[in-house]
Amino acid sequence: MSVSRIPLRLALVGNPNCGKTALFNQITGSRQKVANYAGVTVERKEGRYTNRQGREYAVLDLPGAYSFNAASLDEAVTRDLCRGFLPGEPKPDVLVCVVDATNLRLHLRFALEVRNLGIPMILAVNLADVARKRGITIDLNALERELGIPVVETVAVRRHGAQALLDQIDRTAVSAHLPPQLAEGADLHAETRRLLSVAVGMPSRTARIDDALDRWLLHPLFGLLTLAVVMFLIFQAVYAWATPIMDGIDAGTAALGSWVGGVLPEGPLSSLLVDGIIAGLGGVIVFLPQILILFAFILALEESGYLPRAAFLLDRSMSAAGLSGRSFIPLLSSFACAIPGIMATRSIQDPRDRMATILVAPLMTCSARLPVYALLIGAFIPQRTVWGWFNLQGLVLFGLYAAAVASALVVSWIMKRVRRDKSEHALMLELPSYRIPHPRDLAIGLWERATIFLKRVGGIILALTVLLWFLLSYPGAPADATLPAIDYSFAGLIGHALTAVFSPLGFNWQICIALIPGLAAREVAVSSLATVYALSAADDDAASQALLPLIHDGWSLATGLSLLVWYIYAPMCISTLATIKRETNSWRKMGMATLYLFALAYVASFITYQVAVRLGAG
Amino acid sequence: MDLSLTLQYLVIAAAVLASAWVVMNKQFPGTTRRLRVALALALLREGRAGWIKRAGRRLAPQGYGNAGGKCGGCDGCG
Repeated sequence: MSVSRIPLRLALVGNPNCGKTALFNQITGSRQKVANYAGVTVERKEGRYTNRQGREYAVLDLPGAYSFNAASLDEAVTRDLCRGFLPGEPKPDVLVCVVDATNLRLHLRFALEVRNLGIPMILAVNLADVARKRGITIDLNALERELGIPVVETVAVRRHGAQALLDQIDRTAVSAHLPPQLAEGADLHAETRRLLSVAVGMPSRTARIDDALDRWLLHPLFGLLTLAVVMFLIFQAVYAWATPIMDGIDAGTAALGSWVGGVLPEGPLSSLLVDGIIAGLGGVIVFLPQILILFAFILALEESGYLPRAAFLLDRSMSAAGLSGRSFIPLLSSFACAIPGIMATRSIQDPRDRMATILVAPLMTCSARLPVYALLIGAFIPQRTVWGWFNLQGLVLFGLYAAAVASALVVSWIMKRVRRDKSEHALMLELPSYRIPHPRDLAIGLWERATIFLKRVGGIILALTVLLWFLLSYPGAPADATLPAIDYSFAGLIGHALTAVFSPLGFNWQICIALIPGLAAREVAVSSLATVYALSAADDDAASQALLPLIHDGWSLATGLSLLVWYIYAPMCISTLATIKRETNSWRKMGMATLYLFALAYVASFITYQVAVRLGAG
Repeated sequence: MDLSLTLQYLVIAAAVLASAWVVMNKQFPGTTRRLRVALALALLREGRAGWIKRAGRRLAPQGYGNAGGKCGGCDGCG
């Protein structure tokens, strides 16, 4: 094998939020989330890139770091990898240190630390276009001369914005020129100031718009009010905008079921396709528009630079509850899925704060809960306008999300009271400049969410639906059966047995069945209910009915409310529990999380059901 | 039992087995891997017929990739 066929190892390093991930996307063509807040890159990311001469590079996107004097797991990983100390990770051949051209005072200091590693290195001055718009002038030649390393300009979010970097990578890889190093103990801040004075010209007012917006958006009162209004409007939009598309998907699913049922001869295969797969998956896929609308807003807020400000605004109330402002990003990620949220807690340096965040992250309303909420809200909450123009269903959804957040704060507050160490940790957060969200990044983000959802529908949800259909269909009813056949099936027997535990919460045996596959993926509860009711139906017309009216007519309001409350708290996700075990390296802590979430769910649902029954909703 | 019904049951059996495999792989990747290793070792034992050994080699799991099954299998993140 010739030397040129061994891929050269190229590592992207830099402060959080400098555009490394976007640059990584440009170089490798792979797709990752382009975020706008610190700490999004918590995992090692690798991609491949082949230059025009056919030389292959293995490109690493390292976690963002402010310093090699590591204060978090992210920084420790970056430091150890760059020094070649990380087991199984050879030292990189070339380092690309990415700096934000609009924030060189902070980023150049870290670049000097990276330069001292003595590895061939390139400085990529990213966001050069934004810096120019703000009137910041950077003399790249002077910077290159003073640093003694190649300096190139990049615009990571623009097509071909990394071409100069790609050309320079080839030259640096060939020359393997080692950068000069500062003497041991040299003052990096002083050296940064010297570099800025030589190579960078700052306008008198760099961020007039940022300042003007921050005066309002970071105001202790107006800022919080704005945050509440923004979140409230998002949940209103989820309901108001998604309904027509959802109706279309619903009608399409029903038509497909009727067509397949008509074409295939009656028998077990027709039942599997119509009552199992089409009813089950159709019941879940209908919620795709709501998920996409919710994520469109979250992505836009991420891209705009508003989210770190929200973390800043909420820091006081979070620290009062025993969490730190650093918990905000992991908890926010948990609204998509608790697993990346729990993994993102690696950026929290204090072990106590990290543990508290891990334990409350499963309480955040992940996107898998949305189909369950949407189904139950659609069945029991009337679609009407209140107080002039508010959608009642949107209000209830907002309430459920708010209840989850409030519960997380209460749980962490109780944990704070229980533990002895009550010290507080100050939040240090870099507030990026405001940006207008780039339509391409929004589109990529939404495409990714849709792909993830559809992959789940076509993978684990389809597999569980087929298994559930089998368990609901076999064994068949005995010759002297007096009950519907489903009551004699494996799943029917399990469901009836579980009612002994769950009947105080108002759950019938159909709900009990749906809870089991829901352990693998929460939204499977919806497809499971659809399959259970389709197979329980007395005739084909009843079987083809949508799930929503079936549960509206079959369940009491008290049962619906109890199940909604159950889903706020229940530890109904094996993958999340496995992630807690892995991140804490403790079965005890995982068991603790499971137990407290289950107890919380059971008690809250029990109270909800019993109170609702007493009030006449049973 | 007529041919049509037999075929239907065969398709259903294949779908159920494939689904069970997907769920095991996604939810219990470590257990599935250990199970595959144990089965493969049993099939590759000295003295087995060639076709059994070939089946054992096909059954043996691949080496861990970069992700190493770290995400817990929920497919919930990008």
